[in-house]
Amino acid sequence: MKSISLYVDQDTFLTRLHSFSKLYYIVVAIIIPLIGGSLGLYGLCLGLSFCLIIAGRIVKRVLPLIAFSFTIILTVFLIHGLFNQENEQILFSLGPLIFYQEGLLYATKIGLNILNMLLAFAVFVLTTRPAVLVDDLEQAGFSPRFGYMISSVFQIIPQMMGTMNTIMDAQRSRGLETEGNLLVRTRAFIPLISPVVNSSLINTRERAIALEVRGFDSKQKKTFLQDHKLQREDKLFMAFMTILLIGSVIWRITTWL
Amino acid sequence: MKQLFKTKWNAACFVLIPACIGINYLGKLFASVLKLPLWLDSIGTCIGGILGGPIIGGICGAANNLIFGFTTGDSITLVYALTSLGIGAAVGIMARLGHMKTLSGALLTACVAGFTAVVISTPLNLIFWGGTTGNIWGDAVFAWSQASGLPVILGSFLDEVVVDIPDKFITLLIVFTIVKGLPRKLTSLYELDDEVVSLD
Amino acid sequence: MALIEVKQLKYRYPHTEKLALDGIDFTVEKGEFIGVIGENKAGKSTLCQAFVGLVPSMFRGAYGGKLFVDGMEAGKTPVAELCRHVGLVFQNPFNQLSGAKETVFEEVAFGLQNLGIPRGEIIRRVEDNLARLDITEYRNRNPFDLSGGQTQRVAIASILAMEPQVIVLDEPTSQLDPQGSEEVFKVVEALKHTGITVLMVEHKMEKLAEYCDKILLMHEGKQIAYDTPEQIFSRDDLDKYGIQPPVYTRVSKTLNISKSEWENKEYPVTLSQIVELKEDFPKKLTGRTRLEYRGDEKQEELFDIQDLEFGYTSQKLVIQNLSLQLSKNPTALIGQNGAGKTTLVKLLKGLLKPNSGRILLNGEDISGKSVAKLAGMVGYVFQNPDDQIFKTRVMDEVMVGPLHIGMSKEMATEKARWALEMVGMSHWEQENPYDLDLSERKMVAIASVIAMEPKVLILDEPTIAQDDRGRKVLGSIIKKLSENGVFVLAILHDMDFVAEYFDRVIVMAHGEVISDGPKESVFYEKESLTLARLEQPHMARLCEALDYEGIFLTVEDLKDKGRE
Repeated sequence: MKSISLYVDQDTFLTRLHSFSKLYYIVVAIIIPLIGGSLGLYGLCLGLSFCLIIAGRIVKRVLPLIAFSFTIILTVFLIHGLFNQENEQILFSLGPLIFYQEGLLYATKIGLNILNMLLAFAVFVLTTRPAVLVDDLEQAGFSPRFGYMISSVFQIIPQMMGTMNTIMDAQRSRGLETEGNLLVRTRAFIPLISPVVNSSLINTRERAIALEVRGFDSKQKKTFLQDHKLQREDKLFMAFMTILLIGSVIWRITTWL
Repeated sequence: MKQLFKTKWNAACFVLIPACIGINYLGKLFASVLKLPLWLDSIGTCIGGILGGPIIGGICGAANNLIFGFTTGDSITLVYALTSLGIGAAVGIMARLGHMKTLSGALLTACVAGFTAVVISTPLNLIFWGGTTGNIWGDAVFAWSQASGLPVILGSFLDEVVVDIPDKFITLLIVFTIVKGLPRKLTSLYELDDEVVSLD
Repeated sequence: MALIEVKQLKYRYPHTEKLALDGIDFTVEKGEFIGVIGENKAGKSTLCQAFVGLVPSMFRGAYGGKLFVDGMEAGKTPVAELCRHVGLVFQNPFNQLSGAKETVFEEVAFGLQNLGIPRGEIIRRVEDNLARLDITEYRNRNPFDLSGGQTQRVAIASILAMEPQVIVLDEPTSQLDPQGSEEVFKVVEALKHTGITVLMVEHKMEKLAEYCDKILLMHEGKQIAYDTPEQIFSRDDLDKYGIQPPVYTRVSKTLNISKSEWENKEYPVTLSQIVELKEDFPKKLTGRTRLEYRGDEKQEELFDIQDLEFGYTSQKLVIQNLSLQLSKNPTALIGQNGAGKTTLVKLLKGLLKPNSGRILLNGEDISGKSVAKLAGMVGYVFQNPDDQIFKTRVMDEVMVGPLHIGMSKEMATEKARWALEMVGMSHWEQENPYDLDLSERKMVAIASVIAMEPKVLILDEPTIAQDDRGRKVLGSIIKKLSENGVFVLAILHDMDFVAEYFDRVIVMAHGEVISDGPKESVFYEKESLTLARLEQPHMARLCEALDYEGIFLTVEDLKDKGRE
């Protein structure tokens, strides 16, 4: 079955790390440059993420994500470089397009921020199995019902996608056109989406029955099949991140003084 | 007021949420297969709000973006979790007020949902990407507004209006058609005033 | 006190006027095996849900009377508590998965985790039940990747692991193929010997007759009778309740051979009971003499399939080197899941394009035509009606196809009316299809294709989820359309149904046709049936046990000729 999660199943330092350590990494990596307030700190965090990505053997999977974000970063550069209202200092011009320094500087900051967030998330997303994350959350006191909800999404979406082709075939069999001009294609939307919605909602009725008869509403404390505790590596990793965080605060204070 | 936000926390609601998130996903997928110039990725959130109430709607919306953000690495989606929450809750409130029963009510709901989305998204756009939305039409409007010297916040607001309002109108029209046809056996699972009557 | 006591149980769903359960009243002793029969919508599933307390706690509505399981009142005990004592397994295997677990092991453990059972105990119980249901080898597989029969066994294991005293099985095999059903029935049979109390709803009367201590006959929410299988199946009024007794009973009735010549006659209900009475049966019967269709008969060809080859991926072929001529006799396509039947009909419909080879329809190659173009010529009813229904009125749904292929509104309305009448759904015209139950939605889907007046009608598993009445309606549709010159091709798993309504039978296995001809000969080619892992119709097996030579496919063949 095709999964919607980007998790890469392999045994590396990062996949072994507790999911909370990696979540902590996201937070730290995003706020260090915001606290420190210097472009150089973006460089530091990006560099850190890159090291982790290489160590986690997920470089290949990260590249498409970066490529995807480039279109957004490009629009930011275009719009702010050309039209930002602070623009005064002309930096260069391409034909009729005049780029200004202030706008580009602003766009660089936004671009680096987007990239930084993206990589920090990639470190987490590509190395954490969703089921493990849910288990970790539940063991930390998160409601098992919400845990169920999250795990269920990963099982249900591939299921629903599987019906997509059948529905298209079934409707085409009755003469529905799914190709053509915009009007034809728009008209095809309801006959395609409606069966998915109806059948998945009808299925929820039976699934609710299935859950009820298996003690979903039980007031008992749930048993876990495995314990996930923070290991020595996790503690070291988090300590290191905390030092960086404190460092950035000190940096900020000293630059102020 | 209590009725408005009343939520049943039973198994039926907890299976409804993943199904709605799945519907969001399929809506987006079909829109792209048919090459429609719309997102149509909040159909499930709206249905969640209508069936389960504003709180379930809000959870559907927020969970949708959080789950996709944390698993598909789309941190851009993540930022808009608040927007989705707002849409789900707004549609839920409108439905509880009885507006999703008629076509005109559905259109009013679309306005409310669209406006909610715009109001929440605009500051997010400003904070994270300096006002753009990543949608080509919307960003063209933003570029125009900046070139003609309008304040950034207004430009970003207009950008978002162009992107969100038409999408929400079509979404709620679709939702209206679908919800009207839901079987009673299903909708009765989510009704509020439902004491078991004794036949003895 | 009996383990289960049902006293004047009444229930009504919200927003309805009719009682779904009306005065159900019976008791069950520990370890008994109880069957529940009745036509669709008789209230059987509602009764099952009352046993686990979902009626009324989840569905609300109106409730009356009492239902005790081991002294607990089901209507007043929380489901989370009651589920330790009563387990429920229902029709659709995939919908009863928790939908949140990635492996079979975790799936089976899910309920135990919820109940807070200690970890060591969970692991022991899961291991035991995986072994018991013979699914240990799938323990690390994703439950959604398993077949229907395997999934259903996972569902049963999940319930049994909770160690209930009573297990309620609501048509556990109705949506499975024959192999899957067989797997599940094996489990059910094993359950019978474990001392667990079983309540089972089922349409396969032969199986119920074999397992049950007692049978509850329901009709329109009311309890008609609660008695031994022999008593129930010997009743003369079963037809009124939409029940067809086991083939063994029907044969005995036809030949008037009963177990006791007392006032209330008891006919045999199982094969072993018949064999016991073998002395009383006639020594010789000739069986069916006329053939409804001869393979060699020269007929106008409709489809000409030449050297067809197809695979979803280039490495693995699903259809290999297949050549076949199809003419107008109603034809059944049989074989296990994965034999390539659905792939073949999708190729005929143009939904898939062959890797090599040609398909000619009336002498014209169909590869040049789009699916939408072929729509009016070849009708295809998908297995799951919910993959196509999108209108909120039955009438509108049925009119979709005719309008798409260019009929005028008046014409489409007329055809839709005619089609709905044919499937016996005329009085539901204005209903919302999703308010109907699955068997009725299947009829709507069939009508929506018939209304397009195709020359070819392809049906994929039409009998699934149909009760006796539904099967008869299907049979009449096949007959009527064939008489009108429509070629009906159906994928089927129900051999008794094939034997009754079809002329030609094509057996497929591993993407190849391994047998093809009139049913009278194909059903007696035991080697190819074994190869395709199929069984003869019940009637053929019964007559073999009685040492009759000749061809017997339906009970009518007994009356046909030559009683000595």
